[in-house]
Amino acid sequence: MSARDLPRDPVPGETLLRVDGISLAFGGVKALTDVSFDIRKGEIRAIIGPNGAGKSSMLNCINGFYQPQQGRIAYRGVERRQMRPHDAASQGIARTFQNIALFRGMSTLDNIMTGRLLKMHVPFFWQLWRHGPAMREEVEHRRVVESIIEFLEIEHIRKVPVGRLPYGLQKRVELGRALAMEPELLLLDEPMAGMNLEEKEDMCRFILDVVKQYGTTIALIEHDMGVVMDLSDRVVVLDYGRKIADGSPAEVKSDSRVIDAYLGVGH
Amino acid sequence: MLYNVFVDPFVQMADMPDLLVQVLWEGTVAGVLYALIALGFVLIFKASGVFNFAQGIMVVFAALTLVGLHEKGVPALLALAITVGVMYALAWSIERVVLRPLVNQPDIILFMATFGITYLIIGLGEFIFGGRPKAMITDQLFLPRGAIDVHMLGGRVTFQKLDIAAAVIAGLMVLLLAVFFQKTRIGRALRAVADSHKAALSVGISLNQIWVVVWFTAGLVALVTGIMWGARSDVSFGLQIIALKALPVLILGGFTSVPGAIIGGLIIGIGEKMGEFYWGPLVGGGIESWLAYLIALIFLLFRPQGLFGDKIIERI
Repeated sequence: MSARDLPRDPVPGETLLRVDGISLAFGGVKALTDVSFDIRKGEIRAIIGPNGAGKSSMLNCINGFYQPQQGRIAYRGVERRQMRPHDAASQGIARTFQNIALFRGMSTLDNIMTGRLLKMHVPFFWQLWRHGPAMREEVEHRRVVESIIEFLEIEHIRKVPVGRLPYGLQKRVELGRALAMEPELLLLDEPMAGMNLEEKEDMCRFILDVVKQYGTTIALIEHDMGVVMDLSDRVVVLDYGRKIADGSPAEVKSDSRVIDAYLGVGH
Repeated sequence: MLYNVFVDPFVQMADMPDLLVQVLWEGTVAGVLYALIALGFVLIFKASGVFNFAQGIMVVFAALTLVGLHEKGVPALLALAITVGVMYALAWSIERVVLRPLVNQPDIILFMATFGITYLIIGLGEFIFGGRPKAMITDQLFLPRGAIDVHMLGGRVTFQKLDIAAAVIAGLMVLLLAVFFQKTRIGRALRAVADSHKAALSVGISLNQIWVVVWFTAGLVALVTGIMWGARSDVSFGLQIIALKALPVLILGGFTSVPGAIIGGLIIGIGEKMGEFYWGPLVGGGIESWLAYLIALIFLLFRPQGLFGDKIIERI
C-alpha cells in the first residue's frame, strides 16, 4: 500500500500512530511486554528508560525491523500486524540508528540521495541513457537533496565519503538521509549519543527546525534528560520492557516509579 | 639452472616478440573469461554476502539450456531469449526458496545452501537435457569463426575471430554493468545494499527484490560466459570446474571489487599462459592447471584482502 491509498492526512494533534499491547520476545527474553501509547501528528514524542528497557526494540517494531508476537500497530488509522521495513518506508516512516547505519563508501551527497530512491519512478531504460525524463527527475531530486544539505549546514562535506567523517557529522548525514525521504513520521534512535555539548545543541536546533519547517512528527529515544525535557511534548517511559509512565515532561519527571527506575528503588 | 629460470625465458621473449604477443593475447582472452566468472561471484557476494558455489554450474546450466532448446527445434535467437527468462526464473526461485528462509543465518549456512543449489541444478540439467557434451551453437548466434593472421614484429600472430568477439562482448558486458550500477535507481539500490543492509532497509529498499536482481545479473553473466567458453570447447558439466579458476582470481582481486575481478582475471590468465609457455618446459609442462593457485597463494601472503578488496580492519 502506498501513501496515496491511505485515508486523508491527519491534522496536527490527531493520532498518527498507535501501538496497542505490543509484546516482543527473543527466545525466552522478553524485550517488550504489553506496551501501548500513541504518537500525535506534529509532536515530538520521547521514549526514555534505562539501558535495556526496550526502547530501540520499540522503534524496530514501529518501522518493521522486528515483528512483535502480540499487539497491533495502527499508522494513520490503518492497523497492521506485519510490516516489512520497505513498506514502512514507502508509507512515510523514516529513521536513524543508535549506531549509525550509513553507506560508508558513498559520499554525503550519494547517501542522502538514497533517501530519494523510493520517489524515483522513471523506467529503467531512460535511466540507462540519462536522458529526457530521467535527467529531469534526477535534477528535481538533486534540488531537494541540496536544500536538505543546506538546511543541515553540511555543504562543505558534500563530496566526502562518509566513512571518513567525524561521528557528529555522520549523525547529521544520517538525519539528512532520513529527511530526504520526506517522512511523515521520523524515528530518531539516540540522535545525540556520543556528541559534545556544541554538537548536541546543533542537533536540538535541527530537530526543532524539522518539526517547524516540514511539519514532521518525531519519535525519539534519548538518554540526556536535559535534552528530553527541553525538546519533547510528551514522554513515554519504559523499564524492563514495560511502560511505567506516560505524560508531559514535568509529569514524568516527578513520577515516583520513574525516579525508582532511574535511581533504583530505595534511593 | 638459475640461468634457465631467470634469464633464458626473457631472452626467448626478446628473440621472438611475435610469439610473445601471441602468448599475451591467448592469456588475455583466457583472463577475460576468468574475469567474467569472477564477476558473477563478486556481484552476489557484494549484495548478499554469500559465496555462491553454484556460479560454475550456473554457467553450464545457462549454456546447456540454450543448446538444449535449440536441439529441440527452437530457433537460436528465441532460445537465447527463453534462456534469459529461465535465468530470471532461477534467480527468483533461489531468492524465494533458499535465501529468504535463510536470511540472517551465518554465512557458512548460506554457503552450504549454494552447494545444495549446485547439485539440484546438476540433477535438473541432466534430467532435462541429458548428460552428453553438446556443441555450442556458434554459427546460429552469429559468432564469427576462423582466424585473422597479422604479420608483425618479424613474424605472424594469429587471432581467432571468436576470441576477439569474446573479448569485445565481455568488455561491453562490463561497461553495461558499470553504467547500470552508477546511473540507475536499481543500481544505486544495489550499491546501497552492498554497503549496509540495515541502512538500505531503512530507506525503503527491498532486499528480496535486490537479491533477485543480483542473482539474475549473475545468471546473465553466467550465460555470456557459458556461450563464450562453450564455443571454445563444448558444453558439458565438466565446464563447471572453470568456476574453480575464479577462486585465485577472487583472491587476487578481492571478493568485493568489480575492477578487482577484471584485473585479477587478466593477471591470472596472462600469468598462466606465460608460465606455461616459457617456464613450463623446465618441469615438463602442464603447470597451467596449478600455477594460478600458486600465484594466488603468494599473493595472499602480502595482501590478504586482495588488490582492490576492502581492507580488513578488526576491532578489538
